Amino acid sequence: MPADTNILEIEALCVEAGGKELLHHLDLAIPEGEVHALLGQNGSGKTTLMMTIMGYSGYQVTHGEIRFKGQDITALNVTQRARLGIGIAMQRPPTIQGVTLSKLLAYELEHTRAPADMAELAKIAEIEPFLNRSINDGLSGGEIKRAELAQLLAMSPAFSMMDEPDSGVDIEALSLVGKLIHRLFSPDEKHPVKRKAGLIITHGGHVLNQYPIDKAHVMHDGKIGCSGNPAMIIEAIGASGYEACVRCMETR
Amino acid sequence: MNSSNNPVHGHMDMGRLDQYRASQRDAQTDKVAETHIGKSDTAALAGAGVFLGSEKRSATMVVRDHQPICLQNDSKGFEMLPIAAALKQYDWLREKYFFKAVPEDDNEAVASCAKQENPLGFFIHVEKGVKVTLPCQAAMYMASDKLAQMVHNVVILEEEAELQLITGCLTRHHVRSGMHVAVEEHYIGRNARLVSTMVHSWGPEIMVYPHTGTIVEEGGRFESNYVLLRAAGHVVSNPRTWLNGRGASAKYVTVVIAGPGSVVDTGGSVYLNAENTSAELAHRGVSTGGIMNQGGMLIGAAPCKAHVDCAGMLLDPGERGYIESVPGLQSLHPDARMSHEASVGKIAPEQVEYLMSRGLEEREAISLLIRGFLGAEIEGLGETLDERIAEIAEIAGHGEG
Repeated sequence: MPADTNILEIEALCVEAGGKELLHHLDLAIPEGEVHALLGQNGSGKTTLMMTIMGYSGYQVTHGEIRFKGQDITALNVTQRARLGIGIAMQRPPTIQGVTLSKLLAYELEHTRAPADMAELAKIAEIEPFLNRSINDGLSGGEIKRAELAQLLAMSPAFSMMDEPDSGVDIEALSLVGKLIHRLFSPDEKHPVKRKAGLIITHGGHVLNQYPIDKAHVMHDGKIGCSGNPAMIIEAIGASGYEACVRCMETR
Repeated sequence: MNSSNNPVHGHMDMGRLDQYRASQRDAQTDKVAETHIGKSDTAALAGAGVFLGSEKRSATMVVRDHQPICLQNDSKGFEMLPIAAALKQYDWLREKYFFKAVPEDDNEAVASCAKQENPLGFFIHVEKGVKVTLPCQAAMYMASDKLAQMVHNVVILEEEAELQLITGCLTRHHVRSGMHVAVEEHYIGRNARLVSTMVHSWGPEIMVYPHTGTIVEEGGRFESNYVLLRAAGHVVSNPRTWLNGRGASAKYVTVVIAGPGSVVDTGGSVYLNAENTSAELAHRGVSTGGIMNQGGMLIGAAPCKAHVDCAGMLLDPGERGYIESVPGLQSLHPDARMSHEASVGKIAPEQVEYLMSRGLEEREAISLLIRGFLGAEIEGLGETLDERIAEIAEIAGHGEG
């Protein structure tokens, strides 16, 4: 696939955090209009990769390059990356006292061209009860996921990343998460194949039943060990567990 | 509040008073003069929340250097006058109120203020049952350098009266040094309510010593919002409040910034002397290199409920900045339920980057976090105060102050 059709390209990426190398010469390419899943055991480096793509300062790139829409963004800060069109929904975002979710959403809506207004967004993401509370203050896991997804919808980035949007939520909540993800990646209902790109971290793979994923990658020990058809990978992990997956990746 | 091992305390250095011109007033200035106030003055006053010519104010008085200027006073059932004029007009003012909530021998600064033959300042009287709908405003304005401004203000609310008072205390932009000593007395009658919002904005070497005493009768309420927008050389504000009647209550919200070279000492004591009295004190401050002492003492002498909370953010200690936070409680009654908390912190990088991931510039993110911190858990700040806090956040976030 020619390089110019990839929205994100990562090459030989090594990342250190807290004095320890967590990603080792990792390669990844995500084409325009594709949504990929990132699977792997806890500690395999999934969140590290996502935080590094966003540009969080705790994650030091010691080798390699990250390119977004063909531009080397390795040295850009978080704001610059966000403004280029990279968005993130964190699993454990910080609580910010005194800053309300509605205030941040208003900023996001004002600075992006998202096809949404606050009232509609609040309604579809079911965030009305805590819209005027401090960001993430005292929210349940499910509420945090909705708040994070609502913010992505408000920003409508070209490339969205989500850290375990499906963990710890019940079936009903999962279907709402699925609905929000659908709206985020396929905003134009008339052209369902015209999609935005993204990367979704999932541990159990439940999100794969909620939204069509193009490709899945399995991470192990700071590298992408295996990539392929999402349904087949999830089926294999479901049947034999991550341990078998790891053994396979290590023996190759 | 002022621990003995602390090198810089909130005590006044009254030796400095001699450095300033304290008695430049002549007989003319005792009169209520319709003196013209220039455009730059008007803009400066607006920055501290005092809007001249505004239809949204019930009364206005500006004390410019040593001259009281009463600009507007057209409400029924309440009166705003220069204090000297009020003392001549009402004998009862001196007998019942003048220096009763702040003793004239309280300290050297208050004593100096008491010695003035023609005191400077304002007098406000709201009659029984009168609820003044529009806020009344006063400005203590120092337009000349190296001046000592000594003011004495008395606010009296009779039974069931209500008033919102906005006071802006400030220096003209070029004014660097001087001294501002203020005595302010509030008398809040039965079921009366006074909301006082005070914005201070000073030159870098101004010494500021307000002495406030508030007496609240049964069912009365006092709310004080104090914002220090532009820090002076030295500010010491320890207002005292006596909740003397059953069910009387007080709420203090103090928001300050201490920039390099400034010492800001804010505290205050609330005496809960009657059954079902209650008090809340919330101090919020950011230091960008200044010294900040946060205090607040609750003295419970009856079944009461009170809480004091100090929170500081040390953005940059610079060469000599620090934050000392010492809220205190004194219980004199077994049914006094009182609590305090204090915290000092910094801005967490993960919070800044979280906001940056939403597209905010780093400076915007820091300002928003400071604003959130200063206003957190303080409900119903109101638009004016919220704007002032946003301004502090902006200044602090840009490393000035």
